[in-house]
Formats: sequence, C-alpha cells, structure tokens
Amino acid sequence: MKNLIQAFLAVLVVSIVCLIAINRLNASAGYSGTNTLTVYNWGDYIDEEVIDQFEEETGITVIYETFDSNEAMMTKIQQGGTTYDVAVPSEYMVQKMMEEDLLIELDHSKLPNLKNIDERFMDLAFDPGNKFSVPYFWGTVGIVFNTKMLPDMNFKSWDDLWDPELKNDILLVDGAREVIGMGLNSLGYSLNDTNKVHLQEAQDKLNTLTPNIKAIVGDENKLLMANGEAPVALVWSGDASEIMFENEDLDYSVPEEGSNLWFDNMVIPKTAKNIDGAHQFINFMLDAEVAAQNTEYVSYSTPNKEALKYMPEEMVNDERFYPSPELTDKLEVYDNLGKKNLAYYNELFLEFKMYRK
Amino acid sequence: MSRKSSPFANLFLVIIFFVLYAPIFYLIFYSFNSGGTMSGFEGFTLDWYKELFSDTRLLIIVLNTVVIALLSALISTIIGVFGAIGIREMKRKRNQNSILGLNNVLIVSPDVIIGASFLILFTMAGIQLGFYSVLLSHIAFSIPIVVLMVLPKLMEMSPSLIDAARDLGASRWNVLTKVILPYITPGIFAGFFMALTYSLDDFAVTFFVTGNGFSTLSVEIYSLARQGISLNINALSALIFLVTVVLVIVYYYISRRAGNQGMGGMRR
Repeated sequence: MKNLIQAFLAVLVVSIVCLIAINRLNASAGYSGTNTLTVYNWGDYIDEEVIDQFEEETGITVIYETFDSNEAMMTKIQQGGTTYDVAVPSEYMVQKMMEEDLLIELDHSKLPNLKNIDERFMDLAFDPGNKFSVPYFWGTVGIVFNTKMLPDMNFKSWDDLWDPELKNDILLVDGAREVIGMGLNSLGYSLNDTNKVHLQEAQDKLNTLTPNIKAIVGDENKLLMANGEAPVALVWSGDASEIMFENEDLDYSVPEEGSNLWFDNMVIPKTAKNIDGAHQFINFMLDAEVAAQNTEYVSYSTPNKEALKYMPEEMVNDERFYPSPELTDKLEVYDNLGKKNLAYYNELFLEFKMYRK
Repeated sequence: MSRKSSPFANLFLVIIFFVLYAPIFYLIFYSFNSGGTMSGFEGFTLDWYKELFSDTRLLIIVLNTVVIALLSALISTIIGVFGAIGIREMKRKRNQNSILGLNNVLIVSPDVIIGASFLILFTMAGIQLGFYSVLLSHIAFSIPIVVLMVLPKLMEMSPSLIDAARDLGASRWNVLTKVILPYITPGIFAGFFMALTYSLDDFAVTFFVTGNGFSTLSVEIYSLARQGISLNINALSALIFLVTVVLVIVYYYISRRAGNQGMGGMRR
C-alpha cells in the first residue's frame, strides 16, 4: 500500500512539474494572452520566422496547429468545438467547405495586398471572385524521374511513360483523378471530361500502361524515389521539389499536353473568433517580401507575382516549377464533377488497378 | 528443464532483436547527421538537439504528451482497479461475464471509431476540444486495459485470505488496503504502465479530440508527413527512446520489489 501511494504521489508530482513547465513555456511564447490567432495549416508549411515577424508587427500571438489531410481538417472544423481562425485547404476542399457553409466571406477591403497575386490564379472556377479563399501555394502534377537511371529520357510528353523500356519502372500516386486525368491528358482530352466514351478510351489506354507500372502508392513514393528504388513516378510538384532537394539525380517535368493545376488556399472558417486578426494574417502573408521568404522556405510555387522579385533567380526561372505561359494555359484546375461522375472516376480507377498485365 | 537452448535458437533470438531494434538505432544514428536528410551521413553534429530545445512549440507538445500520459494512466488505474474489484465481487457469474465482455469490446473496437464518437460526444456536450477532451478520452480508453491487467491478479487471490482477515476483525477498509491492494500491486503497476504506453502512442483517438492549440506528439509528427520529417524529430525520438528505456527499468525495479513483498505486504 505504501508503495502504491508513493508511486502515485511521484506521478502526480511529475505531472504538476510538467504542467508548470508548460505554463511557463506558454507564457514565454505569449500563448496565454487574449489577443491570439489560431492558424490551422499543413505540417511544416510555413516559415516560423514569418510567424514571429507577424507577431512582432501586430502584437497578435499566433497559435499554429497542423493537420495532415484536407478531409481531416474539414471534419474538425465541421464538428465545431475548435476556434480555427485561418485554415489552408486545397481547392476542391474549398469548394466542399463553401457548399457546407463552413466559410466566412472575405472582406477584400481588408486585404489590400491581394493585388500582388498573379491574375492567372485569381477568380478560378472553384471560387469565383475569390469570395472565400486566397491562393497560398500552387503546383502541378507531373513526372519525377531519375536522370542517372534513365540518362536519355526527358518526359516532355505523357506518352513517354508508355515506352516499353520502362517495364516495371513507374510509380503511380493512388488518386483516381490524378491517374485517370493522366490518361485523359495523354489523349488530349480535358481533365474534367465526363464524356463516358472519352473516359473509356482513357481507361483502355491506361490498361496498356500496366506492364510498366511498378506500384500504385501513397506518400511513400517520395521516399522510394529519393532512395532510387524506382526511376519514374507520377507526383505533385511540391513533392517533387522536396525529393529533388534530397537526391540530385532527380528531375521533374510537366508534360506538354497539359496537366492538373492545384492550389492550397487560405480561408476563414465559420469557427473563427478573431476575424479581424485573420484578415490581418492573410494580408500579411500576401505581402511580397513575406511571401518570398516563405516560398524560399517551403519551396512550393507561389502565386504572388510581386514576391518573385525578391526571390533568387534560379528559383523563379525554374520552368519546372514556374512553367512558361504556353504550358500554364494548358494546365487545368479540377472541377467539382459531382458525386455521380466522381464515383464513375473511382470505379474506372479501381478497374484499372485490378487490370492484370 | 535445465537443458541448454541450442545455439541455433540463440542466433534466432539475436536476429529477431536486431530486426526489432535496427530501425530505432538507424533513426538515432541519423539524429547526429550534419546533412539535412536521412539519405547520407555527412558528419557528426548536435545541432538537431539544439534546434529541438529551442523549438518552444515542440517542447510544449512533448510536455503535453507526457502530462496527458501520466495523468490519464494515474486516473484510469484508480478507476480500473476499483472496477476490477467490483467485477470480482459480483455474486452472479453471468453478470460478471457480461460486464467483462463489455470491457473487452472496448479494447478490440477500432481506435478510429472510438475517436470519432468522442469527437461527436464532446461537441454535442459543448466541451471545448483541448486538454480536457484529450485527457478524458485517454482515461476512457485506458480503463478497460487496466481492468484486464488487474483482474487476473485478483482472481488468483484466494478468497480465504479475505475471509481470514474478516474473521480477525478487519474492517472493509482494512481488507482493501491491507489485504487486497498489496496483493494485486504488481497487477496495478502493470496496468499503470500499459495505460501509460497506450496513451503515449495513441494517434487515432487523440487526433479527433485535439484542438484549440492543444496537440500531442503523435498528431504533430503525423502532420509533418506531407513535407518530410526534419531530423530534429529524430533527435526527439532518440530522447524519448532513452526515457522509455529508463521507464522500463523503473518498472522492473518496482515490480520486482512488489513481487518480493508479495504476500509479505500483509505485514504493513
């Protein structure tokens, strides 16, 4: 009995010491103040120095929380019980959140820096007039390949993937829209095509790709490519820039037939408590110099035209991540296809996955 | 019984342990890498540890995780022990079995479902997500584990011990504190440490109930996946591994002491 009481008291003491330490740390970081702003973003998707700078300028303390998928983020916001002031969903999720009435309309008069955003990235189909969202980063879907393992290929066209030399070499990302989209693009159709004949054609073409496919994987394709386990993979440009930094033999290409253009966007959820602060934060992130610094850290492509002036030239001139206007014109943002069409995409993708070589 | 195990069996054991520990040591090895990635070792550095200790947000998250684990293990142990005693005291075998069944259902049911239902419950009840919601849910999923760890010890205890104590004039309180609890002490510690580890590594339930600036390590590391995990997480893992080793040693020390006293606990 004495043992038990001693042990339990020890546990209590340790917990109390920890709690005091947490309080101290919170106070030293200013988290316990009243003027706070909760930002809900992807993990490691912002330069912490930028946050410090914002705190210094405005006196608002930022509480930074992270999520790992759009769906997870939406669930948290939908259920309430949280006070996220700014969140960063991808474009299709912005649309979903708008439909579910989870977002607050942005007050453009409080966002003077909105003028810095490249017009190409404004007023897009998923949020006409940017009523609810402001682009944060953008990117493409393309092919990352190992120049050492494939010295004489450059993947300027989707059709290069069908090269018989690539037998059992390709990693695909496990996403219906990405893979079916690749099939559609390679045939010259739109990514948002819902014509069943076209979709069937795309699937037939994809089926002929099966001998070349090594695996259909999720996030682990980054690790596999970085370690040289496979020579080619279909990836998002953000992932590509990250693994190219780790493994210098890798290169990235967006095929000239066109591809997907994706966005991560800043929004203000209905759960927000500090709406004014949220606007201030978004406006701050749109500032050219801040966006430049943040982009250098995150290394995704920034939609901020003015920021490009403050960034290193080799970054801005990298056509792999800031493609030429001709190519950008061919890039398409995913439309919301509606439940029925999306289910059809998923079905086609499933059939493709089950197709035997 | 004293037959020596064959060298082959020993070799097998060594290989298994190597496979089990290799990833951890690989991770720890790279926490000293001066290169920024895990793809090649460039040179020795302690920078990642320095970075770790200067990252206030991460430190708060680590401390949060520890506090939640300790407190939830403590509270669930107390509740679980009384629960187990209650189950044992039940007169009818059928009731006992059905309660035990309900207890087991909670252990085998998927974490995701438990997490989602807690999220719905807390938001319906108007409880803000944060420290208390995480603590409550961890206590809830730890209790069945504690019950399961304590119950065998209780069942093993001869009922005549209690009868004898009562015959000698012990009150209910005396029976509890001088007979039952000392006897089941090893089980209680086992339950406590099980609850502790369950709480430390739980992601699925915790993910649903964190919010408002409160987060734990598992949730935080998971959300780093999109950008790739920085080496200061390796450094953190190395430290946590060390702490776990210390905890295991403490556990063995305590359980040996408790085990030695075993019946001798009666003296106190």
